[in-house]
Amino acid sequence: MSGEARMSYEIRHVGGTAVVSFRGDVDLEHSPTAREVLLSSVRSGRDLAVDLSAVEYIDSSGIASLVEAFQEARKRGARFSLVAVSPAALRVFELARLDHVFTLHDSLEEALADG
Amino acid sequence: MSGDRARGVGGDGLSGPLELIAELSRAFASSGDLEATIQRAVERITEYVGAQGGALFLVEEDEHGGEGSLVCHASTGPVKITGLRLGPRQGIVGRCCETETLQHVRDVADDPSWEPAVDAETGFTTRSILCAPLIVQDERLGAIELVNKLSGDGLFAAEDARLLEALAASAALSLHNARITERLVEREALEREVRVAAEIQRSMLPMDRPVPFPLAATNVPARGVSGDFYDWLELPDGRIVFCVGDVSGKGIEAAILMAKTASLFRCIARDVAEPGPILGRLNAEILETVTRGMFVTMAAGLLDPGPGTVRLAAAGHPPALVRDADATWHEIPSGAPPLGIGPFRQPGGPPEVDLSLRGGSLYLFTDGVTESPGPREGMLGIDGLRRAIDERMGLPAHARLEALAASLRAGPHRDDRTLLVVDGSPEPARPDLVPLLSLRFAARPERLGEMREALADACRGAGCAEGCTRDVVLAVDEACQNVIRHAYRGQEGEIDLEMSRDGDRLVIYLRDFAPPVDPAVIRPRDLGDVRPGGLGTHFIQALMDEEELRPADSGPGNLLRMTKRIQGGGA
Repeated sequence: MSGEARMSYEIRHVGGTAVVSFRGDVDLEHSPTAREVLLSSVRSGRDLAVDLSAVEYIDSSGIASLVEAFQEARKRGARFSLVAVSPAALRVFELARLDHVFTLHDSLEEALADG
Repeated sequence: MSGDRARGVGGDGLSGPLELIAELSRAFASSGDLEATIQRAVERITEYVGAQGGALFLVEEDEHGGEGSLVCHASTGPVKITGLRLGPRQGIVGRCCETETLQHVRDVADDPSWEPAVDAETGFTTRSILCAPLIVQDERLGAIELVNKLSGDGLFAAEDARLLEALAASAALSLHNARITERLVEREALEREVRVAAEIQRSMLPMDRPVPFPLAATNVPARGVSGDFYDWLELPDGRIVFCVGDVSGKGIEAAILMAKTASLFRCIARDVAEPGPILGRLNAEILETVTRGMFVTMAAGLLDPGPGTVRLAAAGHPPALVRDADATWHEIPSGAPPLGIGPFRQPGGPPEVDLSLRGGSLYLFTDGVTESPGPREGMLGIDGLRRAIDERMGLPAHARLEALAASLRAGPHRDDRTLLVVDGSPEPARPDLVPLLSLRFAARPERLGEMREALADACRGAGCAEGCTRDVVLAVDEACQNVIRHAYRGQEGEIDLEMSRDGDRLVIYLRDFAPPVDPAVIRPRDLGDVRPGGLGTHFIQALMDEEELRPADSGPGNLLRMTKRIQGGGA
């Protein structure tokens, strides 16, 4: 394996919304990082938009991290949306029957405009 | 130093004797050499009470289990009497044991029990004796005797008597415990030897052959070692000689005769392929050397796998069972008494029977099988065995036998259970599995990325479209996570991943080496429940066509088998 991590992430602030973008594999190795990033963004008091357009792989542990952040946001009354979910990730959301639990947006603009 | 302590007995209370009692208890508890500890105890007690000499006698049962004589196991002082043997009631020691009371003799000259012979022989002059019994519960272990007080008038005082009594009670308890420990250690050593013997026996049984092989057998010893055995031998012309035997009796004696008979069978079968003459030769050999009263029941056969014919002979063995292809059963009784009883009437050995299996199967078993408890009341019996076989005909011969053996419970006699099957219909040739991938990797999250890449490549190579590849990768990845989280639970370990193609299906085996996993732990979650966890198993079930988790066939570990129909491009 190359020394390069299979997952990277980026956080931007657009108005009152934290936009977290993941890239690569949100798997058992990297979901603890994803979980930390998501929860600390929610706890900063902002709305959260999670960009999954560059996610090539996500497993049940990655899904669990998203569910936990989603629940934390709801508890705080913050908005939580998923943006541009890649086909690979969408398949997994459908399997988990979570595609109707989360708010899904095709683009970041749509997510920021909504609400 | 010790003299000071001895003089302190009457004055400063019990701390002195308590220390000595503690010291002796420790010595007995930690000693690997009981005699040396007894010697040390006598020396310490003699020194502590301040006597000129001391001795410890133990009751030893005589050979006939009669009243025990008293044997001196340890002594100290000017004259050593270790090894001295007294009659059951002889001397003051004898009286002490007999009455189970402390004997305090101020002057031996006035005591009718006194035996002057020892003094006469050794030149020692005994004046005063203190003798305390060693008793635990109802068991008389012996007595400890002190001779001549060193200080003062040379006579023992009442305090000395009380002190010796206390020390003797403690020594008796320690000695009793040490003896129990010693017996346990001996038993463990014996058990270890039995384990080694069982290991050697197992190594004498033939190895399972890769299927298709027309024979399979299983042996469940009732104790560590077995009196049952089976064997088979492939002859250069392709025919197979086989046997099942049961040595009368149990335990080591039976095991040794089993080893001998099994070795003889192997030797003789190489020269004489025919089962009747094999049993005849075996009988002659066993009759020459065997311990009287022991015998062997045995069935032997010669299989010609081509036409599926069997020639069978048996000596005092339970009947052979034949199940025809149309599910009718036949019994073939033994034609001669067991081996080791006397010369056979027929010079060529027991009569032979020729069978044609024609798609049926032949079962040989030992009486431990039919005498094991049946599903309801009583013993399984031959009818019960037939039914148990009928119920498992869906399984290939080897698996059928394993399932049968697993279903048999140990009977009240706890006899060995041995079963052998000769299958007249070797499994039909299967379309060959095409191996696609074989990986072994550490069960750690950071190794899963590489695994997924290799697996995805293999799926694409097998013709899977991208969606199908993604599904297989997710399911296998989730299964690996279950292994990491639920089987190894954070411990180091390895995972074996094997994938092959069987026609239009992918067959995936995932094996770990962890303790067995309770499937309830990884059952799928309720999807209405929006909560992390339990999702992985749901994914596996949703994505794969079949999945089955069971303990691995060999060694520790779990085996997950999954299949998935290959969905190609455009599908």
